[in-house]
Amino acid sequence: MNENQKEKFIITVKSNTKDLYAFTKLVPTRKKKFKEAPSNPISEDKINDLAKLLHPNTQHLIINEIKDETKSTKTFKFIPDLDSNTKELAYFRAGQYLSLKVDVNGVYITRPYSISSSPLEALKGFYEITIKRDEQGFLTNYIWKNWKVGTKIMSSGPEGFFYHEPLRDTKNIVGIAGGSGITPFRSMARAIIEGTMDAKLTILYGSSEQDDIIFYDEFKDLESRYPEKIKVIHVLSCENPTLEGCEKGFITSDLIRKYSDIKNSTYFICGPQIMYQFLEKEIANLNLKPKQVRREAFGEIKDLSKLEGFPKDLMEKTFKIKVQIGNLVKEIPAVSTESVLVALERAKLAPPSKCRSGECGFCRSLLISGNIYVSPISDWRRAADKKYNFFHPCSSYPLSDLEIVVPRNPK
Amino acid sequence: MYRDHQKINDSYDVVVIGAGNGGLSAATELAKKGVKTLLLEQHNLPGGFATSFVRGRFEFETSLHELNGWGTEEDRGSVRRLLEGRYGLDLEFVPIPEAYRLIITDPNEKLDVTMPFGVDNYIRAIEEEVPGSEDSLRKFFDIAQEISDAFVYFGKTKGNPDQKVLMKEYTNFLKTAAYTADDIESALNMPKKARDILNAYWCYLGLPTNRINFTIFAMMILSYITHGAYIPKMRSHEFTTALDKKIRELGGRIEYNTKVEKILVKKSKVVGVETSQGDIINTNYVISNASPTLVYNKLIHPKSEVPEMAYKEVNARIHGLSAFVVYLGLDASPRDLGINEYSYFIMENSDTAKAYDSWTTLQVPIGQATVCLNNALPDCSPPGTTILYITTLFRPEAWYDVKQEEYFKIKNKIALGLIKQFESAIGTNIMDNIEEIEVATPITFARYTKSYNGNVYGYEPEPWDSVLTRFMCMNDEKYIDGLEFAGGFGRRCHGYSSTLVSGNMAAQLIYYEMVKRGEAK
Repeated sequence: MNENQKEKFIITVKSNTKDLYAFTKLVPTRKKKFKEAPSNPISEDKINDLAKLLHPNTQHLIINEIKDETKSTKTFKFIPDLDSNTKELAYFRAGQYLSLKVDVNGVYITRPYSISSSPLEALKGFYEITIKRDEQGFLTNYIWKNWKVGTKIMSSGPEGFFYHEPLRDTKNIVGIAGGSGITPFRSMARAIIEGTMDAKLTILYGSSEQDDIIFYDEFKDLESRYPEKIKVIHVLSCENPTLEGCEKGFITSDLIRKYSDIKNSTYFICGPQIMYQFLEKEIANLNLKPKQVRREAFGEIKDLSKLEGFPKDLMEKTFKIKVQIGNLVKEIPAVSTESVLVALERAKLAPPSKCRSGECGFCRSLLISGNIYVSPISDWRRAADKKYNFFHPCSSYPLSDLEIVVPRNPK
Repeated sequence: MYRDHQKINDSYDVVVIGAGNGGLSAATELAKKGVKTLLLEQHNLPGGFATSFVRGRFEFETSLHELNGWGTEEDRGSVRRLLEGRYGLDLEFVPIPEAYRLIITDPNEKLDVTMPFGVDNYIRAIEEEVPGSEDSLRKFFDIAQEISDAFVYFGKTKGNPDQKVLMKEYTNFLKTAAYTADDIESALNMPKKARDILNAYWCYLGLPTNRINFTIFAMMILSYITHGAYIPKMRSHEFTTALDKKIRELGGRIEYNTKVEKILVKKSKVVGVETSQGDIINTNYVISNASPTLVYNKLIHPKSEVPEMAYKEVNARIHGLSAFVVYLGLDASPRDLGINEYSYFIMENSDTAKAYDSWTTLQVPIGQATVCLNNALPDCSPPGTTILYITTLFRPEAWYDVKQEEYFKIKNKIALGLIKQFESAIGTNIMDNIEEIEVATPITFARYTKSYNGNVYGYEPEPWDSVLTRFMCMNDEKYIDGLEFAGGFGRRCHGYSSTLVSGNMAAQLIYYEMVKRGEAK
């Protein structure tokens, strides 16, 4: 039997007539359903409401208390600015950061700061941020001079991936902290004690001298009250440390081995860039699995000259960047050793940004022409973004004149 | 002061709201036609659900499992013809090796089959498993082909088919249009087990087989089985970013971080849009990738311009599902883990209505669709690692009463349940190998797309609200002059292929209007 002679199969679902009738009823059924439906507008969207609560675009905060921690460190306590539309604070996972947006004499700049208070304290209505003053730092000097109780600050929602993830991490958390890198571990310690984080925390905390240790008394108290949950080992790099029980020098692989179970721990590293560089070699000695090591993003690269691939002959060169942002087109100066983001901020073009480490992609922009340097240690671009010349200004440095398109700040 | 200078207070021929698949496709088509086009997106990325994100050593795909409608160089599918042929994109897609592995874990129904692509191979594989099912399956695919041909015929006749031709050539299409998948499979006397195997793709449409319209269901299966499935080499972000660049290249404009707050309407005609950036843009045409639900309830301004019927329409339709995805970067290779297939459908039992029910409460759902990216793209992650996504679905209502402080615990509990489900179905160990994990919930999808209720799938295509019915009613359901819809809530229903094609269609319709009014050549 050839194809043409083969009789076509015709389906019967109910009966020939009923099936065709059902087809003719499709449109009337639809129209009837529409006609009979209620005509009230939908005003509720609980899923988006919860999304906004957990991930607010902006949180309007107000400084409620300032506490001196060391001679160069202060803890700022923030509560919601009830005059704004921030009525409650977003919950978070201990270790996450807030990107604060600060108006410094008309120039908006952002900085990521780890939250040093606990998740439940956010529910109670406050966040704490602990900041160490950097003598050369542009922003911290401004903060020391200007931030007072009552000062209003804009913040992002809680951000970042530097938190204990029970599905991935062991319950033995080893914090490796340097200087103000202790702040997320204070949040974790509090989270463990309040019960929002199920883990044991050992902190190897490097400071130059005893006076620089942040939260010394607080951790001492936690250790004595919860010895099975919290332990802090101070590592002092000064000549003759007198602190009882401290380790001398730097956090080495030997020290890490001495205080933790290498096979059964997860290591969280947070500190200044220089500490990361030192630790990479030490960590390599330990033969840890990549999953055992979590690194907090360390912010913008401070010293480009040390990085591989950065053309030394272009250090400190000034270039022009033609920027398109919305309808505005402007040419601005930029130095090769400062990120494109900094050049944009200085020009008051306030691009959106959060992590300043290349990681979050919030500042993602389009490179129309020119060359940029992106350090392999802070290159978190998507593969297709590289293919199509999108880049993250916070981790990119101009190596020629550039033409770029920058997104406007979301409101 | 610069903020004001950044404002876009211009006129555009067409404003496209939302850079999801539908919006991107629409804007590309319009720009290609030389229409002055502005595409506005509230997020800082193109793609909507079609994007990617990086964690550690891994770049994860957000939502695509597999794309139908791509096809081979010789036999190009509709999406390939559109993206490569019409839009001129240079993309690299790779084929999925097998159709799927279906595992039903209930001891009474125990099933574990791996299905090939190609209609003959596919039918043979089911026949081997379920002797006596070939005839019914053959009929199923013949009818599916006839439905697909009928849509081609609709296209050729520009939506005015000759009734006699329809009755004669496309009888099966007409006779099945008002029915569900279950209705037709029963009428074909398809053995139960064969139905279970055939129905595996149901979760891509997201309504149980006793409610899903047969027309769309059959076309989807036909498309996958005949043309195979593909994925982009650099995740969906590759083609969505390629579209972004193409739109700019063609003279169109895109603004991210720009949320449309109002669609300005006067005397039932679109006259402009207002954005979160304070832009006031004059336009007579808007293509919305945002759903009718959002457009009628939130965007149209003034409210008095929203006809009562538009509210009724939105309320009558069934808002579909949102998703829940566990993204895993594992520190062992797929081979070491014994994960040999790309696409897994794992169900506790074969009852699709029961699985759907499990999505209405906050518990570990009893079904998952899981993809191992490396088994189609071996280089997608570093040597010795694996990218695995476990996806399930949820009715948004299940998440309504979640408090923010419970949220992370709840999502981890469900994620753990899904991982365990996968481990026990495949006989592998995931938990000890997790290097990166991210869990997305309906709240996550709402966060990034602002979709109403975190909806990922559009309106549910029951027979009265499926592709065909939406087309037949398209002229009656236009309430605002100059407004068209693209994307998952549009006429072609949801799914990557549908939304890309629907975006193009929305652009064609708007352009046709413009030409008719002498506003375009």
